[in-house]
Amino acid sequence: MNHLILAPILIPALSAVIVLLTARADLRLHRSLSLLAMLLSCSASIALAYSAFSGAPQVYAMGGWPPPHGIVFVLDRLSATMLVLLGVLGLAALLYASQGWDARGKNFHALFHFQIMGLNGAFLTGDLFNLFVCFEILLIASYGLLLHGGGQERLRAGLHYVILNLVGSAFFVIGLALVYGGSGTLNMAELARKLTVASPAEGVVLTAAGLMLLFVFSIKAAAVPLQFWLPAAYANAAAPVACLFAIMTKVGLYGILRIHGLVYGLDSPHIVRYAPFLLLVGGAVTLLVGAFGALGSRGLRELLAWLVISSVGTALLAIGLLGTEATAAALYYMVHSTLAAGAMFLLAELIREQRGSTGDLLRPGPNVTQPTLLGGLFLLGALTVAGLPPTSGFIGKAAVLASATHRPEVVATVYAVVLLGGLIGLVTLSRAGSVLFWNLGPSPDIQPRAAGVGRVLPVLLLFGLTLGMSAGGGPLLELMTGVAAQATDTSSYIDVVLRDSGGHR
Amino acid sequence: MIPIALTIGFSAVMVSMFMALFRLIRGPRLVDRILALDTLSINAIALLMLVGIYLRSDMFFEAALLIAMLGFVGTVSLSKHAVGRSVIE
Amino acid sequence: MTLLLVILIPLLGAMLPPLMMRWGRGASAGSAILVTLAALGAWGSMVPAALRGEGATFKLPWIPALGLNLSLTLDGLALLFSGLILGIGLLVVLYAKDYLYKSDPMGRFFAYLLLFMGAMLGVVLSANLLLTVVFWELTSITSFLLIGFWGHRADARRGARMALTITGLGGLCFLGGALLLGHLAGTFEIAELTSLRDSTLSHGWYVPALVLILLGAFTKSAQFPFQFWLPQAMAAPTPVSSYLHSATMVKAGVFLIARLHPALGGSEVWFYLVGGVGLATLLVGAFLANLAYDLKGLLAYSTVSHLGLIVALLGIGTQYAVVAAIFHILNHALFKASLFMSAGIVDHQAGTRDLRSLGGLWRLLPFTAPLALIAAAAMAGLPPLNGFLSKELFLEQTLELPFAAGPWWLVPALATLGALLSMGYAVRFGVNTFLGPQPKTFPKPPIEPPWGMRIPVALLVAGCVAIGLLPDLLGAPIVELAAAASSYLEVEGVHFALWHGFTPALLMSGIAIVGGVGLWYLQRWFVPVFDQSIPLPSGERLFRATIAGLVDLSRSAKRAFHPGKLQTAIAWMILSVVLLVGSALLVKLPRWTPSPADIDPSLLGGVALLLLAIGAALYFHRRRAVSLAILGAVGLLLSMGFVYLSAPDLALTQLSVEVSTIVLMLLALHLLPAQSVKERVGLHHLRDGVLALGAAVVVGTLTWLLLIDPPTSATSAYYLAQSKPGGGGTNVVNVILVDFRGFDTFGEVIVLGIAALGVYAMLFGMGLPTRWTRPETPDESAYPLMLGVVARVLLPLALVVGIYLFLRGHNEPGGGFVAGLVFSAAIILQYLASGIGWTQHKMNIPFHPLIALGIFVAGLTGVIAIAFGQPFLRSWFEYYHVPILGEIELASAMAFDLGVTLTVVGGLLMVLVNLSKLPRSTSVRPLTLAEEED
Repeated sequence: MNHLILAPILIPALSAVIVLLTARADLRLHRSLSLLAMLLSCSASIALAYSAFSGAPQVYAMGGWPPPHGIVFVLDRLSATMLVLLGVLGLAALLYASQGWDARGKNFHALFHFQIMGLNGAFLTGDLFNLFVCFEILLIASYGLLLHGGGQERLRAGLHYVILNLVGSAFFVIGLALVYGGSGTLNMAELARKLTVASPAEGVVLTAAGLMLLFVFSIKAAAVPLQFWLPAAYANAAAPVACLFAIMTKVGLYGILRIHGLVYGLDSPHIVRYAPFLLLVGGAVTLLVGAFGALGSRGLRELLAWLVISSVGTALLAIGLLGTEATAAALYYMVHSTLAAGAMFLLAELIREQRGSTGDLLRPGPNVTQPTLLGGLFLLGALTVAGLPPTSGFIGKAAVLASATHRPEVVATVYAVVLLGGLIGLVTLSRAGSVLFWNLGPSPDIQPRAAGVGRVLPVLLLFGLTLGMSAGGGPLLELMTGVAAQATDTSSYIDVVLRDSGGHR
Repeated sequence: MIPIALTIGFSAVMVSMFMALFRLIRGPRLVDRILALDTLSINAIALLMLVGIYLRSDMFFEAALLIAMLGFVGTVSLSKHAVGRSVIE
Repeated sequence: MTLLLVILIPLLGAMLPPLMMRWGRGASAGSAILVTLAALGAWGSMVPAALRGEGATFKLPWIPALGLNLSLTLDGLALLFSGLILGIGLLVVLYAKDYLYKSDPMGRFFAYLLLFMGAMLGVVLSANLLLTVVFWELTSITSFLLIGFWGHRADARRGARMALTITGLGGLCFLGGALLLGHLAGTFEIAELTSLRDSTLSHGWYVPALVLILLGAFTKSAQFPFQFWLPQAMAAPTPVSSYLHSATMVKAGVFLIARLHPALGGSEVWFYLVGGVGLATLLVGAFLANLAYDLKGLLAYSTVSHLGLIVALLGIGTQYAVVAAIFHILNHALFKASLFMSAGIVDHQAGTRDLRSLGGLWRLLPFTAPLALIAAAAMAGLPPLNGFLSKELFLEQTLELPFAAGPWWLVPALATLGALLSMGYAVRFGVNTFLGPQPKTFPKPPIEPPWGMRIPVALLVAGCVAIGLLPDLLGAPIVELAAAASSYLEVEGVHFALWHGFTPALLMSGIAIVGGVGLWYLQRWFVPVFDQSIPLPSGERLFRATIAGLVDLSRSAKRAFHPGKLQTAIAWMILSVVLLVGSALLVKLPRWTPSPADIDPSLLGGVALLLLAIGAALYFHRRRAVSLAILGAVGLLLSMGFVYLSAPDLALTQLSVEVSTIVLMLLALHLLPAQSVKERVGLHHLRDGVLALGAAVVVGTLTWLLLIDPPTSATSAYYLAQSKPGGGGTNVVNVILVDFRGFDTFGEVIVLGIAALGVYAMLFGMGLPTRWTRPETPDESAYPLMLGVVARVLLPLALVVGIYLFLRGHNEPGGGFVAGLVFSAAIILQYLASGIGWTQHKMNIPFHPLIALGIFVAGLTGVIAIAFGQPFLRSWFEYYHVPILGEIELASAMAFDLGVTLTVVGGLLMVLVNLSKLPRSTSVRPLTLAEEED
């Protein structure tokens, strides 16, 4: 068996442990160690992706206990995609943080790597309770990271974030109890198998469980009306933390894809017939609410937070459309929006610093110290986020719209919603750009320092990747189609995981 | 013989717990409530012992041991708080 | 390949001008000229083949899944447009070099301009509809940058944003329509779309797709009712207005209509929609131009009007209508670009663009004035200029319409009216500026501008004259080729002539010319009337009001729904889950009678106690310490409940956690007021009550469902069976924790550690004191002597109990977690009894390394398994016979448990000890009742 599958979990855990054991050592040592670890786990993720895309899914039984009784890790194409995405994003965020942010509080690198560990675990696990545990790890690390840097606003936003997510976790546990109560197992593949043979009585409990889990994942994904935790949290987080948080909502979407797309099957009778409809409507409402909320934002980071919500809506909409093509579009869009949001949050921080006391408020203020660089990057970012060509945002949006043409009964509504959301996004970002870079007030006496290479490089890296996603859109969409096909093929998933129960005991 | 004794014992402990709970609710001061809580803990020890006899097993002995050993820590902390001091200083 | 180069050269070459700025403005402009010449050269090399009808093509797959390919073609229509783009572009670059003021960043200007040029070339050369969308949006973006070039001016910013929004809206509609069209036709390649015209027209989605695509074209070309953005865009520097907003970008919409006419045209919908909008625009634009005071505004409306003319012709769609349309595209580009440049000269030299402050400039600008007047004549459609030829053709085509449009004279009459209005504003432009009396002073004394600004005008006007005099030689070939590409019918044998005899069209022209002059005389009376008393509906005002209204709506909606209160958020959450799960239960719950369950009477007493305690805790929720005491009782009763359900491990854990929880809560309560704020009873309480009730019903029903039909779990049977043989322990709960599901425990232990770290980081940010000193005069009540003595005695005993519980955990109730809690409780007791200073002096435990060590040890047991070639966390156990002691068991699970214990101790102590240091922090003080917020 291939132990490499553990690398995305163990490498971050080990580096966090070493950082803690040497808690009194110099911060520079921690930085180098941390960066090295991130680089290693990112490379491991890429290696895993290579094997996942060229072969069958791999199953790893923890402790040697055979599925469905023990905990399993399952590496399929969907997991691999998310692993690579996280690796790249984490690398960029860490690079940025190492330029100074990590010194503004305690235990940054340990918390950071624990969060990476939790995220990787969530993407790899094939066991529902283990998913909960990994959610807990990533959530609690994110609380710590959110509070990093201190300050009144951050503490208040952090408090709300903690409490709302705790409520979500409580309901997750209730959902898990329902799953076990209805099926007698916590293993995803076994649950999928049970769902195909469930009796009517068991079916009620399993349906309730599925909807409860949908609720929990929607909280994580910040779908309306469960998005209240996001705007304040993202707007007040430290820049590298906000960058990493760009993938947090995608964890919720991953959960929906995995549990409802794969285990339950979105058109199965056990999840109520109106589940895809819920996703469609919920996605549409989220899209518009997010765009609308961005329009009325007073600060750049708040604006970006609302646009993140809007992008979640688009992805939900695409998932609700059903079908390999639509799911592939959703996946492409998820990857694009994560990279773009991460880059934009880092950029927003650079802009904020260079505008003196005005900060990132969207009113006339002094010119930034590096108008060409930041203005150009902002333009690129705005195009990417708004979905204008030739960026990956355009390709993602076009892919979603193209897949909607296969559902004539909803195509008009979907088009209206997506295009309207796109227009509002366009208006919002052009207003923001105009006030940040054109509508300039008097210059301050002391011009803030220009951003160094160390902090611009992560932004360039992430934007470069989105441009690569656009240029290589053809092969990438094909890859995503393969991912989508495998991610909805319930019967082969059951076969691969449960066949392995030849066991080692 | 034993079953009758057990029944009397259980009933007595139950009544005692209700009385402690009554005092916990009524108060009127925090000090009264703290004492009631402590009494409740002692009653719990008794209850556990009776359960052990009833089930003919020593599975729950350690639970009683823990209550006995650590139960007063809660009482002491609440008392310190009632006096107005920080619990640990 | 050369085709691709034509687009790439300006796009990539846009980097040159900013870089060349370090060698001066001349070098920068020179590089821009060179880039344009290079692109022209590449284009020129393909012209001969294209003129023969064998235009170059290029294809590169980009995203086959979407049908988006890099397909380019140089057919007639593309040839005409690309020639215009490159030729006029070169002239504009020359003009701009002298037009831009010293303070303008020239490098950036030319960069944007070249980017636009490349994008526009992409639009016209594209042979794939989706690719056209891509370049289309790029032109919108570069236009935005160019209009907002003088970003310090509010009108420039507004104009840029408005242009972007309107054209962006159109672009999005275009995308939607293109996707629909691609889906119904099965391809995005324009050549194939043309051959599928019949099936397209009969498809149910034809009309929606057509409307969306036309919306894109109409917004881009500022057709009615979207015409209001173009005058706002006049805030751009004049070279921009001349290039984009007369010759190229606004023509993109017209180009699209022409390009798709063979694929979508010929239906009634096409005729009425395209023709109607075009005609309406012709009239509205011409009318508004007569009212304009701003030179550029007048020209902007005139552009709108002429575009309407072209669109109307394309709507008519007969062979000669298409020919006329193409011809007018060419002619209009020539004279309008030169007119804008002349207006720019006037503005640049005289300092004003307002007609009311201008006049008699022919004396002061003797070179520019005649050129401008000729161009204005072409705009008005006077012979023998090119404008006259295409206007004649237009008037002629209105007499023969393919579909019914009212009485036969209606459309021609309207067309004549349009021509009349055109004459009116053309005269207004020419006469009011250059002829007539001179005003007393000009803002700047006007003199002729540098040659760089005059030569482009001269060349363009020469073009107008040349085509007017020799249309067959100069215009016909290219027009025929382009028209053929724009029509699904055969187009050949195109001839132009100045004199066709006394045709009805000539009569109409004559009426228009005479009437126009008369109109000009009347302007001095009716223009002020419209100015002062008749407010025309202003699209621009409506637009700004809409945007501002939406922004305000968004802000007030956020204030209403996002007040930043937790109650709102949680209320929504509870509502969602109640609706979601509750509705499913309602739908799916089978109707069966519940079987009465047997209830154990002794249980009733315990349940009553529990409910009573919980109720009391709720009742006293405002008095925090009281509530905490009652919660302690609840915890105790809960442990009893665990005992009843035969779960000793859980009972042990619950009891040991109680201690730490109470201490933790009290540490926090020390800093809060004793009572929380009394709330006024309001409507939201009703809401909360209903939601709580709903949630209770839902969760209660679910629990009941679970209890009446417990699952038969193969996994639980497996665990019970394998616990001793596979796991080496008889305590199946512990074996599950450390072996079967050890990875979960590993994760949860990490969670505990992270929580401690996070708390520490947060407290550190609040300013914890680094050195701890005992207070000078220790109070007796702080460290009571009795407590100290008892604590000291209890410590070793508690440690022994902890070790005992740890060691026997695998087979009896106990385990690492409980042991860790007991250790922590014992140590906390020391802190409690003797204070932080004394205890830390006696045993200074480093918490960070302890937590790390615990996680490390737990992980190590897993990794060691890998070293033996086994999966992670695979456990091992062996029984050994030791003399005297008997049989003992060594298990790797014990090492794992050790890791758990270490982490628990480290984490718990880190939190409690640091929290207790908080009252002495530099920035924290206890809250008073008034300051407390929810």
